[in-house]
Amino acid sequence: MTARRVFHVAGAVIVVLAGAAAGALLPSAAPAQERRIQMTARQYAYDPPVLHVNRGDTVRLRIRSLDVIHGFYLEAFDIKASIIPDSPYLELTHPSRKGERVEKVEELVFVADKTGKFRFRCSRVCGNMHPFMQGELIVAPNRLAGAGIGACVGLLAAAAIVALRRDPGLS
Amino acid sequence: MNAPQPSGRIDLLRTVPGLKWLLTRRWFQFAVVLPNLAFFYLFIIAGAFGSPVGSRNIIIIFVWILWWFLLIAVMVPFASRVWCTVCPIPFFGEWYQRRALVGVRVGRPGVGRNRMWGFNRHWPRALSNIWLQNLGFLLLCTFSVPLLTRPIVSAIVLGGLVLLATVLHVIYRQRAFCRYVCPIGGFLSLYSMCSMVEVRARNRETCDECTDKSCLAGGVTGWGCPWHVYPSKLDRNNYCGLCMECLKSCTHDNMTIRARPFGSETALKSYDEAWKAFIMIGLALAYSVALLGPWGIIKDWANPTESGKWGGFALYAGALWTLTLAIVPAAFYAAARLGRRLAGEPGMTMKEAFLGFSGVLVPLGLAAWIAFSIPLILVNGSYVLNVISDPLGRGWDLLGTAHTPWMPFHPEYASFLQLAVLLTGLFYALRSGWRFAGERYGDRPAAARAVAPVAILSTAVAAGFLWMFVG
Repeated sequence: MTARRVFHVAGAVIVVLAGAAAGALLPSAAPAQERRIQMTARQYAYDPPVLHVNRGDTVRLRIRSLDVIHGFYLEAFDIKASIIPDSPYLELTHPSRKGERVEKVEELVFVADKTGKFRFRCSRVCGNMHPFMQGELIVAPNRLAGAGIGACVGLLAAAAIVALRRDPGLS
Repeated sequence: MNAPQPSGRIDLLRTVPGLKWLLTRRWFQFAVVLPNLAFFYLFIIAGAFGSPVGSRNIIIIFVWILWWFLLIAVMVPFASRVWCTVCPIPFFGEWYQRRALVGVRVGRPGVGRNRMWGFNRHWPRALSNIWLQNLGFLLLCTFSVPLLTRPIVSAIVLGGLVLLATVLHVIYRQRAFCRYVCPIGGFLSLYSMCSMVEVRARNRETCDECTDKSCLAGGVTGWGCPWHVYPSKLDRNNYCGLCMECLKSCTHDNMTIRARPFGSETALKSYDEAWKAFIMIGLALAYSVALLGPWGIIKDWANPTESGKWGGFALYAGALWTLTLAIVPAAFYAAARLGRRLAGEPGMTMKEAFLGFSGVLVPLGLAAWIAFSIPLILVNGSYVLNVISDPLGRGWDLLGTAHTPWMPFHPEYASFLQLAVLLTGLFYALRSGWRFAGERYGDRPAAARAVAPVAILSTAVAAGFLWMFVG
């Protein structure tokens, strides 16, 4: 690779990274607060399907099942619960704690201390579309999404710079 | 024979010890298909007689979770159509034609110099394209939820493909089924263009001077190309099924397998290929919404046999077909047309622009499918442990892993992987568009103007997928 080509590649990478950085510079979320959310689970969806919270919010989540036993596995937050129809209790476990006894709770409580989009999924086989039963927890500011979109735009900008540079040749 | 390697290519038969010996053994393909055949029929039996619960049946977990991920994220990018090398679906049909599992027959009646059984009819010229594959795949995908979640439906479809392949092998010459009908073959042909390996002639002059053309007509050491292609003229991966027959039949030792950079070819040459690209990216989008999205109503519509919402299904199916067959092509047509106008030169016809710029969807579509598949394997991969110990979901525990709890493998990192994959796909898409424009327009500003609308559209598509997965 010639020095000139290294220079061009490095320049393109810098433009892409600049786009990603610009996209990640989302404004900070509103002050933390407590959020109480009532949720239902049915084959094969949660309602509400998407939860929007801010970083630092304390989320208190009550879930009831409208049909069969469902699960609630929230990735990255170490929460896994069973939702039993007609029961006011959720059966809570923490996957990282081996041998832990099931805890009966009325609501799932966690602090949204990570930002981004996280999926919650059914963890109890509940029917044919069980693997696709999922919802989304979006914790603002979602810097990864901003960085991703920024990187896409940065890539396009880098391509434009490469395309319009004055060098002869088109390779 | 000693022609220089094209740039960025490595002749694997000359650099990997033992590879040439292995691939030129007559028993090679039979040896790799045979175990696959055994598994394939185990899957069909499990689908027909095993648990109706998808996550407890080996056919669903191995075919739609494990195989699919390996196919789209590993085999296609790194090894082209290697799946076609090991595919068990045409096994019986090909055996019927050849009446040989390993050896080669010569004589009449046959195809070329090879003695072959069956009617050996030519495939109809009007169907000598991938439109059947396009529509067949789209039709299967319209019913994807029953197919992906119900073992019996998977067993019927896979068994039906074996039956269809066998019948077509009896009627038509060689691998007409694989080339023109197989719904899997259609997208393999498209995305294998990005792959990092290729079968090619080492030296074109040797082929030009060759008089016996045994790669095409067959001979005593190998069957003529079963894929209806002329191996010595191969310049794209699309329709090479990596059966390795040309390596065996070439009397000049002129065919080889080369490693090459990812994304080396993206040129689409006909409308059927372009529409395959549109269908695939449209389906990736639709699946990402319907299967990986949080919206229950769309899942109900996609799953009418259980939800009973046939009106919603009609809407879902209509949207799927309209998106893939009309909206995505229209968007790319508009972008290509605008680019051609902005370039201000008659560098190419509208058809050339449309087909050429559609090639950007080859790497971008592959990236979208890989990104879609990442959470599937991370979340559902642990079911493999259950079903290898209890393939039929009947309460067996052959390996002691049947009751392993469901353990998603760090699904929270899927977003980072999806981001990286989509950016890589966008990079290759932009490069593909730029190279095509560069070939058609002599000067840099005109080429930049020509590619600009397609580049912006590709970026928007990538950003849209990103937003769905991460945003």
